[in-house]
Amino acid sequence: MTDTIAGVLLVFGSALILLAGIGVVRFRSIYARMHSAAKAPTLGILAIAIGVSLSVRSVEALVTALLVVVLQLVTGPVGTHLLGRSVYRQLEHDFDAGDELAADEARDVDH
Amino acid sequence: MITMAFALLALAGICFMIRLFIGPTVADRVIALDGLLMVITCGILVEVASDDSVAGLDTVLVVALVAFVGTGVLARYVERRGA
Repeated sequence: MTDTIAGVLLVFGSALILLAGIGVVRFRSIYARMHSAAKAPTLGILAIAIGVSLSVRSVEALVTALLVVVLQLVTGPVGTHLLGRSVYRQLEHDFDAGDELAADEARDVDH
Repeated sequence: MITMAFALLALAGICFMIRLFIGPTVADRVIALDGLLMVITCGILVEVASDDSVAGLDTVLVVALVAFVGTGVLARYVERRGA
């Protein structure tokens, strides 16, 4: 029973990583690609780590899997934010809904 | 189950590699590299689950850390040298 749950979680997590990959290939704007590459794999790694803990069932595996998940939860948004800021400053933009960040910065709103 | 997870991860790796090759900007390639390291992380985790040996777990931690540091450094590069 536990092995079945672990297997389902492993497949679910891998499917989420694949979804991120498809998004990275298919989306048109770099921000959409970044969003796809940042969000889906976090849940994917969470599911895979739970699956690994259920399947190995040792303290060492549990602690390391937990560490990997925490690391991913902390570093993922930070890295994506760093990259997004760099891209915003370097590329020419054509946003559908207008450039709200530039408007805010022109009005000197604190972010 | 394990084979299916590996197959899905392989397809994800192919997707990220396509983006790595076609670009078009440096930032796109940074995203693709980050995704590839994510695929490697998950691949090692699934491998650990498949043969119940905890030897790969330290590697997972190192790969996850290298992915973050690499993304940060490359983001600085994009900011200074242009996308």
